[in-house]
Amino acid sequence: MEIRLPELSGREETAVITLWRVGEGGKIEKGDDLVELVTDKAAFDMPAPCSGILVKIVKKQGDEVKKGDIIAVVENNLREESRWKNLTE
Amino acid sequence: MLISRKCEEKRLVVEIRDLGIVDYKDALDVQTDILRKCLEKKVLDTLIVVEHNPVLTLGRSNKETGIVDRGFFNKRNIPIISTGRGGEITYHSPGQIVLYPIIDLREKKRDISLYIDFLEKTISNSLNSMGVEAERRAAKRGVWVQNKKIGFIGIGVKNWVTFHGAAVNINNDITPFSHINPCGERDIKVISAKECAGYEIDMREAKRIFADQFIVDFIKEYR
Repeated sequence: MEIRLPELSGREETAVITLWRVGEGGKIEKGDDLVELVTDKAAFDMPAPCSGILVKIVKKQGDEVKKGDIIAVVENNLREESRWKNLTE
Repeated sequence: MLISRKCEEKRLVVEIRDLGIVDYKDALDVQTDILRKCLEKKVLDTLIVVEHNPVLTLGRSNKETGIVDRGFFNKRNIPIISTGRGGEITYHSPGQIVLYPIIDLREKKRDISLYIDFLEKTISNSLNSMGVEAERRAAKRGVWVQNKKIGFIGIGVKNWVTFHGAAVNINNDITPFSHINPCGERDIKVISAKECAGYEIDMREAKRIFADQFIVDFIKEYR
């Protein structure tokens, strides 16, 4: 699943990625902090839109991004998730 | 001071908490606690009103060039703290009103620019009520009196709940601002409400004006 930057503002503003809170290969849970972005006067912590494994970071720290840009790819295979759950329980 | 105001129409309720004069880190602990509870929908939207003991804070966009004269702050044992807010460097001290609104935008308008516009409007309206001719500028963030900055913005947003916020110079000594590049801008001039009015402002009354105006503008913007 591709993760795209949501609309942060009604104005056409860009944001800069300042921090990925999870690295490639890391497991993410829906709602957890995923990436921090900054605009002119705001620091925005974007939550993960889904659970899964963060397989690719498309936009790196320091990259400028705008609404709709693909910033990462998450593999959220439900079978994988349930296998992971069984292994960790 | 703990005041709850309500707009029955859309169930908009804001709780006002005045922390008095406290260290930056102590206020941050209070903010973080309310933010966590707000994310869990366990508390109302809250406006923290506070004055800080002298401190320099750095935002997430801070650059090395923000501090012009580090010695000035070292000599006075003024701490320099990196924070999680947006923006660059600023200075806080008693006599400056700092507003930390913790507002859950998840079921309101999810728009960061609109929220910053609202903060600027409420600061400029409050200052106008105090007889200070403050205004917003189209090209630059913040609140201004002619070409001098009086209100500073730097917010954080976590899963669409806001924290950090704004600072407004009321009675504070503005000399330390000449030893930094406030908000990362060189040659910026800073002013206080006291300088504009020509006399010391009653802080208690100023905080009441800011709290009342915040409620009025909040309801207007988010109803």
